[in-house]
Amino acid sequence: METLKISSRILHVQNKILPLNIKPYPLIHNSRILGFYSNKRRTFSYTVTCKLNTVKGKKPSKGKTVLGSDGAAPPVVEVEERSVGRKVEEPPKSSGVGFGIFKKLPRKVLGVLSNLPLAIAEMFAVAALMALGTFIDQGEAPDYYFQKFPEDHPPLGFFTWRWVLTLGFDHMFSSPVFLGTLAFLGASLMACTYTTQIPLVKVARRWSFLQSAETIRKLEYVDTLPRASVKDLGVILMGDGYEVFLKGPTLFAFKGLAGRFAPIGVHLSLLLVMSGGTLSAAGSFRGAVTVPQGLNFVVGDVLAPSGFLSTPSDAFSTEVHVNRFSMDYYDSGEVLQFHTDLSLFDLDGKEVMRKTISVNDPLRYGGITIYQTDWSISALQVLKDDEGPFNLAMAPLQLNGGDKKLFGTFLPLGDDNSLNVKGVSMLARDLQSVILYDKEGKFAGINGTKIVIEDAIGSSGLDLKTDPGVPVVYAGFGALMLTTCISYLSHTQLWALQDGTSVVIGGKTNRAKGEFPDTINCLLDQVPELVESSSPKEPDTHSGV
Amino acid sequence: MIFSTLEHILTHISFSIVSIVITIHLITFLVDEIVKLYDSSEKGIIVTFFCITGLLVTRWISSGHFPLSDLYESLIFLSWSFSLIHIIPYFKKNILILSKIMGPSAIFTQGFATSGILTEIHQSGILVPALQSEWLIMHVSMMILGYAALLCGSLLSVALLVITFRKNRKLFYKSNGLLNESFFLGENVLENTSFFSAKNYYRSQLIQQLDYWSYWVISLGFTFLTIGILSGAVWANEAWGSYWNWDPKETWAFITWIVFAIYLHTRTHRNLRGANSAIVASIGFLIIWICYFGVNLLGIGLHSYGSFPSTFN
Repeated sequence: METLKISSRILHVQNKILPLNIKPYPLIHNSRILGFYSNKRRTFSYTVTCKLNTVKGKKPSKGKTVLGSDGAAPPVVEVEERSVGRKVEEPPKSSGVGFGIFKKLPRKVLGVLSNLPLAIAEMFAVAALMALGTFIDQGEAPDYYFQKFPEDHPPLGFFTWRWVLTLGFDHMFSSPVFLGTLAFLGASLMACTYTTQIPLVKVARRWSFLQSAETIRKLEYVDTLPRASVKDLGVILMGDGYEVFLKGPTLFAFKGLAGRFAPIGVHLSLLLVMSGGTLSAAGSFRGAVTVPQGLNFVVGDVLAPSGFLSTPSDAFSTEVHVNRFSMDYYDSGEVLQFHTDLSLFDLDGKEVMRKTISVNDPLRYGGITIYQTDWSISALQVLKDDEGPFNLAMAPLQLNGGDKKLFGTFLPLGDDNSLNVKGVSMLARDLQSVILYDKEGKFAGINGTKIVIEDAIGSSGLDLKTDPGVPVVYAGFGALMLTTCISYLSHTQLWALQDGTSVVIGGKTNRAKGEFPDTINCLLDQVPELVESSSPKEPDTHSGV
Repeated sequence: MIFSTLEHILTHISFSIVSIVITIHLITFLVDEIVKLYDSSEKGIIVTFFCITGLLVTRWISSGHFPLSDLYESLIFLSWSFSLIHIIPYFKKNILILSKIMGPSAIFTQGFATSGILTEIHQSGILVPALQSEWLIMHVSMMILGYAALLCGSLLSVALLVITFRKNRKLFYKSNGLLNESFFLGENVLENTSFFSAKNYYRSQLIQQLDYWSYWVISLGFTFLTIGILSGAVWANEAWGSYWNWDPKETWAFITWIVFAIYLHTRTHRNLRGANSAIVASIGFLIIWICYFGVNLLGIGLHSYGSFPSTFN
């Protein structure tokens, strides 16, 4: 710190106006000029960086050695434009020639993978395969495909069942072709993140001053303020939330750096989602069971492993008891909701959990999730002439189309031994309405027999699963939502140069290009016009630190 | 009863206002620009927006659940989103192109929703168990907002393509008239060579504007779509037992997402910018319709409750 104090007045001014963002948290910028001496260490660290910058300006070679091999800083514009998709082509300076092929081959692979047109082609391929997967009915028996894609009249003239079955398109979303393409895309994503985006962070975190008005005038947005001070501009930009760096006559300011970094976050979180999905596929257990009310099952009996990483946990010995299955109805008779009252017992027979689950409200215990997904009617309890109750098992009936369900059973009446069995057919749509039919199919008028249906016993259709990938996937989801939103912010950079009494301003932004000129014009309108000999007053307003 | 009457009134008001707005747009487009008319059309859209909002709120109150449980409601919501996207830039001033695209889009969805095809499902139905969740609001509204924004953005891209590749440039002036009124004066001197350069200048400016706004709207829609898909996945993990089921609707939503991701990527590449990315966005336009309607038309998969009534098939 002491050494830096001896430097010129320019550096002194620069110390004061340069704010607090040498650390990689450039978004904390609420403070105005006044606020930044609060932390001595921080001041120190940035002064060091300032020094590097000045040094770099004077002796480029030395600057390079200090900063590392990441190339000279000033032409930020060029580096950024190049870096989109093509940064890889830059020969890596640091890698020695001696290592030869071991170092070059992975780099070549990386270079190929991070090629943007290739990635786009992969995305198109994934999209096309998925579309194909929705057009071809999935998961049918081979016979189905023999008929649907016959060899003599194949759809499109060539697409026979051989294609479908050989490429595994009958189960597209687990076929090697699809997963391979997806993995390829993932590899591209990684390569692109590594070779293109991460270096972008290094570039964007550095600020650079543009020393000549010529370079500034080459930018997308250019304006000139006659009779203005670059320091005033700095203050106004700061007020608008810009990070402002001032060095002598030159100014650099930026805003919305997060918008520049967020796409990296998007890629990383996509990778996180992908890895979570892989973990789900490799390490989960699934199973479905239909349990009549009042019966038990053991979790481990239902769950079947789905991949090589699936390892059962202690909770698999839990026994589940279905206390009650019930359905709520609308007034119109439509089903409102299904409820299953479940009790969980551990090995010692102690109840460890009890919960009534319903659709959209599953039970979670020890990594196992139990979902309410289905239902059926298992039995009718019937009193015949005050005898019984008999439990009549109900069978699901096939209905053409629709997702309505119907269950049926038959109650024999009269002589059990006669060949021509008489009786009553009972049909139930749900747990509250039962219809009785006689042999002729007429609505039941049963002569002389009194039938009382005491209860309809439902079975609850439960899906069970354990999925170690869910936390990872959810983390990815959260990050993805956040970063996609942040990506919408614009990263705006401004450069200005005091050129005599006038100030040349140039800027560029990566998203809101349409409004950019307007917003900047608004800001520039606030910059006070210098009246003659007002300059001595100016430094006071700034250096009131 | 009073709710259904109110609903009727609001539907008709909004529909007629949108038709008037379209007529005004057509007049300004084909005949001449009348500033007063144009202003009133802008106000018309705002009135429409409030009408549709009222319609949705009425429906919400009368049915007791968020009005996004079937196709009719989602169409109404889509046209609401169109008018919303339309008035956002109105408050931020400028942007005349957007209104040209949004108005017709709103009227088509509105017209389709209220047309005879879907009369059977105008009555708000019941909510099946799987839909009874707070996620419904988040997931469906985000999806439809996303669809609306992406449709609008891709329409802008289609317009860009049309303007880029059109041979007959005469009509172009008129669409461009809003950018520069004095430009109409030049129409008499078509042969003038200096005029051609001016024409090219405005043309390129229009293309640039279209490009920028389509990008702006598509990125907005992409954000909505991402949130919509992800919240849907979280919901599916609550309701169906898996966050991704490769259900046709899910798959197509994912395809839509990928296509617009491709669009956003083509824009970062110098050689693919411009017409190429616009082509991708136009493909995206078709894909959204497949995703939104095509899958429902087939009525397959887990998302089948949003499908057409059986009488229609």
